[in-house]
Amino acid sequence: MFATIAKLLMKRLIVAIPILLVVSALLFIILRILPVDPAAMSLPPNATLAEIEAKRLEMGLHLPLIQQYGIWLAQVLHGNFGTSIHFRRDVASLVMTTLPSTIELAVFAMLIASIIGIAGGLILFHVRGTRKEAGLDFGSILLLSLPEFLWSLFLILLFGVALEWLPFTGRLSPGVERPTITGFLLLDSLLAGKPAVFWNAVQHMLLPCFALGISFSPSIMRVLRSSLLDVYQDDYIHQARLRGLSERRILIRHGLKNAILPTLSLMGVQFGFLFGGTLLVEVIYSYPGMGNLMVDAIRNADLPIIQAVGLTYCIVVLVISIAVDSLYLILNPKLRVR
Amino acid sequence: MSLLTARNLSVGASTRSGDFPVISDLNFSLAPGKILGLVGESGAGKSMIGRTIAQFLPTGFSVTGGTLEFDGDNLVTMDSHKRRNLLGRDIVFIPQEPLSALNPVLTVGQQMREHLLRIGHTDQAPWRERALAAFESVHLPHGAGLLDKYPHQLSGGMCQRVLIAMAFASRPRLVIADEPTTALDVTIQARIVKLIAEMQKRDGTSVIFITHDLKLAAQICDEILVLYAGRPAERGPARALFSQPAHPYTRCLQLANPSMSGERRGLFTLPERMPGLRAIKDLTGCRFASRCPAVIPACREAEPPFLEIGPDHVAACIRPEIAATIMPPPPLPMPETASGEPLLSVDKVTKSFVTSWSLLRKTTEFRAVNEVSFALGENEFVGIVGESGSGKSTLARLVVGLDQPSGGRVVMAGRDVTANRRDDKAFRREHVQMVFQDPQSALNPRRRVASIVTQAIEAAGKRGDNTARLDRARQLLAEIGLPPEAALRFPSQLSGGQKQRVNIARALCAVPRILVADEIVSGLDVSVQAQLLDLLLRLRQERGFAMLFISHDLSVVRYLCDRVLVMYRGEVVESGRTEEVFSAPRHAYTRTLLSSVPPDDAQLDWSPDTVGDVAAGVR
Repeated sequence: MFATIAKLLMKRLIVAIPILLVVSALLFIILRILPVDPAAMSLPPNATLAEIEAKRLEMGLHLPLIQQYGIWLAQVLHGNFGTSIHFRRDVASLVMTTLPSTIELAVFAMLIASIIGIAGGLILFHVRGTRKEAGLDFGSILLLSLPEFLWSLFLILLFGVALEWLPFTGRLSPGVERPTITGFLLLDSLLAGKPAVFWNAVQHMLLPCFALGISFSPSIMRVLRSSLLDVYQDDYIHQARLRGLSERRILIRHGLKNAILPTLSLMGVQFGFLFGGTLLVEVIYSYPGMGNLMVDAIRNADLPIIQAVGLTYCIVVLVISIAVDSLYLILNPKLRVR
Repeated sequence: MSLLTARNLSVGASTRSGDFPVISDLNFSLAPGKILGLVGESGAGKSMIGRTIAQFLPTGFSVTGGTLEFDGDNLVTMDSHKRRNLLGRDIVFIPQEPLSALNPVLTVGQQMREHLLRIGHTDQAPWRERALAAFESVHLPHGAGLLDKYPHQLSGGMCQRVLIAMAFASRPRLVIADEPTTALDVTIQARIVKLIAEMQKRDGTSVIFITHDLKLAAQICDEILVLYAGRPAERGPARALFSQPAHPYTRCLQLANPSMSGERRGLFTLPERMPGLRAIKDLTGCRFASRCPAVIPACREAEPPFLEIGPDHVAACIRPEIAATIMPPPPLPMPETASGEPLLSVDKVTKSFVTSWSLLRKTTEFRAVNEVSFALGENEFVGIVGESGSGKSTLARLVVGLDQPSGGRVVMAGRDVTANRRDDKAFRREHVQMVFQDPQSALNPRRRVASIVTQAIEAAGKRGDNTARLDRARQLLAEIGLPPEAALRFPSQLSGGQKQRVNIARALCAVPRILVADEIVSGLDVSVQAQLLDLLLRLRQERGFAMLFISHDLSVVRYLCDRVLVMYRGEVVESGRTEEVFSAPRHAYTRTLLSSVPPDDAQLDWSPDTVGDVAAGVR
């Protein structure tokens, strides 16, 4: 099995290289076609035309686009993403300080989406054919039709403003000191032995994670329900019943184990979308992640950051899809090489 | 003392459009250690009896009367907890489709372990030994890591053995085998049936053997119950019932099946089909009356009572003596096939598939068809027999041009079409047409019958106007015996036999000279099969065409084909005139195949040649 996974990883890596090249080229060229002059942006507003022209030459903006891309790519491969025009800081370090926050947000949101999705799917399946089905069906469609930013606002209003149970801005309360070891706040606070900081961080994450998780769970629910319905038509379920197994055992061991496979493919795709979905949620909760960095960068036409963040999103989505495919391989014996 | 007794058991379905009887007046008693055969066509209610025993009836179905006693307890009123305790332990089931009856994501060992724990095996450690012992008793090769195999890595026959091992692991008192061999090859079928009989003897188990094959039931059962449209037609000791049927339906079933010995006789073709659930309700009198060849007005007046024919032998017919007088029609003549230039000649055709491909290692090849040569004359029907994996279907695809041979030549009507260039394809289309196995999936569900049967007009690029196409469709439907109004129906509105007729009509639309038919009667009921076989013979007489008829059913090939090719592992091991090959087989494999078919006479001993490598079933 490990050989099969290794083979899959090799294959996917080979495919990932051209994908990254295409994405990076698109990012670079589209951003350069925009009517934004990086030279003018990187100089103070009172710079003269001559100064701007000199800066243009210095930045190599007079060269053909392809050549510019080549130079940029060579730099990127050396780990140099350039300097932010707005923040005047190294782009790579900016991305590296914000990426862990976004990963934490996305992973926990996905966890919540999976738990709500799988539990909801099982409940939806359980009530099939009863009168409760229509009501729960309506509920799941209602969940499905609300986007994550509405959930964000709703949760802020309810738990943040009305009930005042949870904080809804930033990562930590003012005055709480942040330990830095790996960059992952939750992990660092535990490593540094500061449960109070950890607890504070968790409280700040609850609302954004739930906002994202709830909005991504209904499709998991519905796919799991329908694949369970399919699986229950199969002979082995009937045969398991005829062997006198209990309904619970049949559902978990025979039904769910088969029905989870199509659900898993969907969850992989969902995770990719969810990672993109963090952007809006981060902005709403002033969560210091990559999404906020991206929005700032777009506002300021900070091209190096947009390029680097765009590329990071692309890499993360590729990694997620490879991980899901490997998991699929582990769970589905038919795909393993004998 | 009987183990399972049904007294006036009836099952009904209630739907929005009313209540329907599904099973009525069911009476039988099964003694310990005996085998009861339930025989009937699909829709007769055979499987419903198994489901009634387990109380897993489809939604809306319920027992409407009578009792079903297992060891003194009424299964119908038993509480679900008690019944669930019986299932898997005292009452076990052997399913129809072994491959899909095992969970695909669990290993055979995991499933066996789950079952052993379920039936009360408590100590964790030696479950493996117990599982292996169970596998050994069903002659599965052990030690080959069988416990760690997934179902898809095993053949259908091996999966069925696993399921039989599971079923008998608890030394059950009652086994319900629901068409356990229908999905398997003839040779495997014989072995599985013998295995069930062997296990049954070992444990003294009672068995309910559900099958559509009366001949098979007569061989292995002690008692047979023939069901027609949900009501028993006849019940009696197996051999007595088979040799002296007392219900016309039993007799007709027997005569609808082609014989394997003696003179080639005609098939008794029952008209139309069995009344469906909805129709039964409105029937008065005998349910079989509309199709019975010996019907008299009295038959339609009241439901016939069960008349005692002999010891433990009853028939639901008011004139039980009439059954013996029903005689098969004379066989449809086999036209002389013209000798001369063959219509199709296949010369040393090979088809190989690359099974593993690597830059470093040598590629391995699998030859599905290996240097096969044969000729098909004008108007000749040639049968191809062999088990699954023997290359029958691949050969058919090579002939039709769906696949390209890796070597050899295909010459059709004097033209070499091996290369399958553009003009070869057009030539092929005019000369050869294929009828596919499963009409359910071969017919586009969103097209009307008229448009399906005239697809050849579309394929040839002739844009005939719609009325012309409709006329052609009606003409074709008349030829295959369907009413003209069927032209505007959708496939889902037709029965299985009607769909297969449409399937044949579509192939005939282009007026081909060769028809390639891949298992076109398997999966159909015997009475429908008889109708189709005679249809093919009649069409040959009327319009003349040659046919390559692929089948695993030897008796069908014997009835229909002039010559036969026996295929084994991609090669033709024997060929010749059907009669000669079947009466004096020369190759050992042909003999194995022939011995797998139960004999026509139930008095004869059936000893299928079970010599064979079971391990060959591991993929």
